[in-house]
Amino acid sequence: MPIERRTLLKGLAAAPAALAAPPLLRHAMAQSETLDVAAVYSLSGTFANVGTLLNNGSQWAMEHYGSVLGRKINYILLDDRGDAGEAVRKVQEAMSQRGIKHIIGCTNSAIALAVQKEVNARGGIYVQMAGADESTGKDCNKANFRWPVASYSAVNATMRPLIEKFPNAKKWYTITGQYVFGDSLLTNVKDVLKEKGLQHVGNSYHSLSDREYSGYIATALASSPDVLAICNFGNQTLDVIRQAISYGMKRNTKILAIWSTGLDQFQALGPENCEGVYFGCNFWHGVDTPGGREVAAVVKAKTGDVPNYLQACGYAVAQVLVEGIKKAGTTEIAPLIKAMEGMTYEGPTGLEKIRPEDHQVIKDYYLMLGKAKSAMKDKNDFAEVIAATKAFLPPDKTGCKMA
Amino acid sequence: MQLFLFQVLNGLGIGMIYFLLSVGLTLIFGLMRFVNFAHGAFYLVAAYLAFAIVGLTGSMVLALVIAPLAVAILAVATERLLLRHTYRMPHEAQILITFAIALLIQEVVIMQFGPLGQNVPVPQALSGVVFLGPFVYPAYRLAVVAVAAVVAVVLWIVVEKTKLGAVLRAGSESAEMVALLGINVDRVFMATFALGGALAGLAGVLAAPLRGVEPFMSAEALGIAFVVVVVGGLGTLSGALVGGLLIGLVQSIMSTLWPQGAHLMIYAAMALVILARPTGLLGRT
Repeated sequence: MPIERRTLLKGLAAAPAALAAPPLLRHAMAQSETLDVAAVYSLSGTFANVGTLLNNGSQWAMEHYGSVLGRKINYILLDDRGDAGEAVRKVQEAMSQRGIKHIIGCTNSAIALAVQKEVNARGGIYVQMAGADESTGKDCNKANFRWPVASYSAVNATMRPLIEKFPNAKKWYTITGQYVFGDSLLTNVKDVLKEKGLQHVGNSYHSLSDREYSGYIATALASSPDVLAICNFGNQTLDVIRQAISYGMKRNTKILAIWSTGLDQFQALGPENCEGVYFGCNFWHGVDTPGGREVAAVVKAKTGDVPNYLQACGYAVAQVLVEGIKKAGTTEIAPLIKAMEGMTYEGPTGLEKIRPEDHQVIKDYYLMLGKAKSAMKDKNDFAEVIAATKAFLPPDKTGCKMA
Repeated sequence: MQLFLFQVLNGLGIGMIYFLLSVGLTLIFGLMRFVNFAHGAFYLVAAYLAFAIVGLTGSMVLALVIAPLAVAILAVATERLLLRHTYRMPHEAQILITFAIALLIQEVVIMQFGPLGQNVPVPQALSGVVFLGPFVYPAYRLAVVAVAAVVAVVLWIVVEKTKLGAVLRAGSESAEMVALLGINVDRVFMATFALGGALAGLAGVLAAPLRGVEPFMSAEALGIAFVVVVVGGLGTLSGALVGGLLIGLVQSIMSTLWPQGAHLMIYAAMALVILARPTGLLGRT
C-alpha cells in the first residue's frame, strides 16, 4: 500500500512525542509516588546561623514523617542567602519549573512577606515562621499559615506580666532594629505603654548590619529608664543584651528581650549574662507536652541534646503542613487549605489550633527570667517560665481580609 | 551636653578597638602591598581558640598568649604554602585566594563548633564598671583600649625606630633593592605576615568577651577593618589609628544624633574621605 504524503507527515510529527513519552510517564509516576516540599531558608548571609537550625528542624520533621498519604516526602531546600528577592526567584523557579506547590519556612519576616504573596499568586500553600504582624494581618492570604506568634502577641505576652510584676517601672526605653519585624514590635510596645499610661522615654533605631550598640546604650542610660525593651532578633538581641549589661545597665534597669530564640541564645549569652534578664520565647524544652516530647525525641536522636526554639520552629511548620495533609486526605491545595482552617493538633507547645480567619496558629508565648548559674539544675536550665499567655488580636482587629 | 561628651569618650574607646581590628591588615598591606581578605578569618580563629581555652582552663591570660601565637603559625603556613605564589599576581588574584581561605576557615569552624554563637565570659577581675566622673564605662572595654594603646606605641617604635623597622619599610618600597643588600626578603615577608596574623589574633581574643563568638563574625570585622584602613590610608600605622578613632567617633556621636543612620554614616564618612583624599587621611600618594 502506498504511503500518502499526509500520513507520512502526521507520523513524523507524532514521533518526538512518542519518543518523549517514557520519560514523561516516568516523571508523572514519580510525582504520584513522592510529594515535593520546598523549604526556604537562609544558609548564608547575616542570619545563616538561624536559617541553618530552622532548616535542620524542618528536615528532621520530614524525615520523621517519611511519607504522607502513601507518598514519600521529598524535602527540597531553597537557599535564599538571606535575600528576599532571591527567595522569591527560587520559589518562582521551584513552582513553575518543578511544579512544587507545598512550601515551608523563612528566616526573617521580609522573606516570608515576599514569599507568601508569590505562593498565593501561583496557587500553592505556605507554612512559615515570620514574626511580623502583617503576615497574618493586612498582608494575609489564603495560601499562608504562620506557626509562631505575631509581634503583637510577643509584646503583650511579655510586657503585661512584667508591668503587673513591677507596677513602679514607669519609664521604658526601646532599642529597635529598623526592619519590618523590629518596627512591628515597636508599634505594639508603644500601644501597650499608651494603654497603661506608662512613659516611652526614647527609642534608638539600629540598622540590620549594626553590631556596636554602646552609643545607643549610652543614650538610653542618659534617660534613666526603668525598663529597656529590646525590639530586634537574632545575634543583634544578644549584642544589645551583652553590651547593656557591660555598661552596668542591669543594676537599675530591667532588661526585656521581647523576642528571643530561647536556649540557643541563652547558651550564647552564658548564665552570667542571662541572670536577671527577661526573655520572650515561643518554645521552651522544659514545658512538658505530648507534642514537645515528640520534637524532643526527634532532636535528641539527631543531636543527643534537647531541642532549641529554632529546631522546634522548623519542626513545627513541617508538622502543620503534614498534619493538614493527613486531615485533608489529599495534597490538592484548595481542600488542604480548607482542612487546615480550624485544625487542632498536638504541637510543640501543647494543643495548638489554626485560626480560620487569619491562618494564625494559636499557642502559648512564654515570659522567662534568666537564672543565676548556681540555681541551674542542668546545663540547659538557664531560665524559668514565669508566664505562659495566649495573647492574640481578635480576628476583626488584625486587618486580615482573606481574599 | 553631658551625653555628647560621653559619646565622644565612648567613640574614642570604640575607635581604639577598631584600630586593633585593622592594624594587622594595614601592616600587611603597607609592607607587602598584599590585600589580605583572610584577616577576618584569622580574627575568627583566635576568637574561637579563646572560647576553647577559656572553656577548658578558665584563663583569659593563657588565651591571650596561645591564640595570637597559633594564628601567627596559621598565617605563616598559609603564606608559605599559598600566598607567596600570588605576590606577583594582580590584587584581584590575592583577594580571591584569601577570600577562599576565609570561607574555608569559616566552614571548618562551623563543622567543629556549630553555627550558633557561644559565650566567652569577661574575666572576673574586669567584669565591673568604672566611673569616669559622671560616666560609667565597662572595665573590660577600658582594658581593651589600654591594650590597643600599648600595641599602637610598640608598633610605632618597632616600625619607625628600629633596624628591623627600617628593613620592613625598605622592603615595602623596593624588595629587589633590599634583597641586593643581602637581606632575605622572603623571610621578612613571612615575619610580616606572622605579625599581621598575630595582631588579628590578639583582636579576636580581646573581642570574644565583648561580642561572644559566632562563625560569621569575621565578615563584620573585615568590613570595619577595611573602612578604617581606607579612611586612614592603606598601609600606614598612624592612618589605622586616626581612621579607627574617626570611625568610632562618627558611630558613637551619630548614635545620639541620628541613631538609624549611625552605621550608614561610617560608610558616608569613608566616601567623603575618598572623595577629598583618595589615598586616605594619612595615605601616601
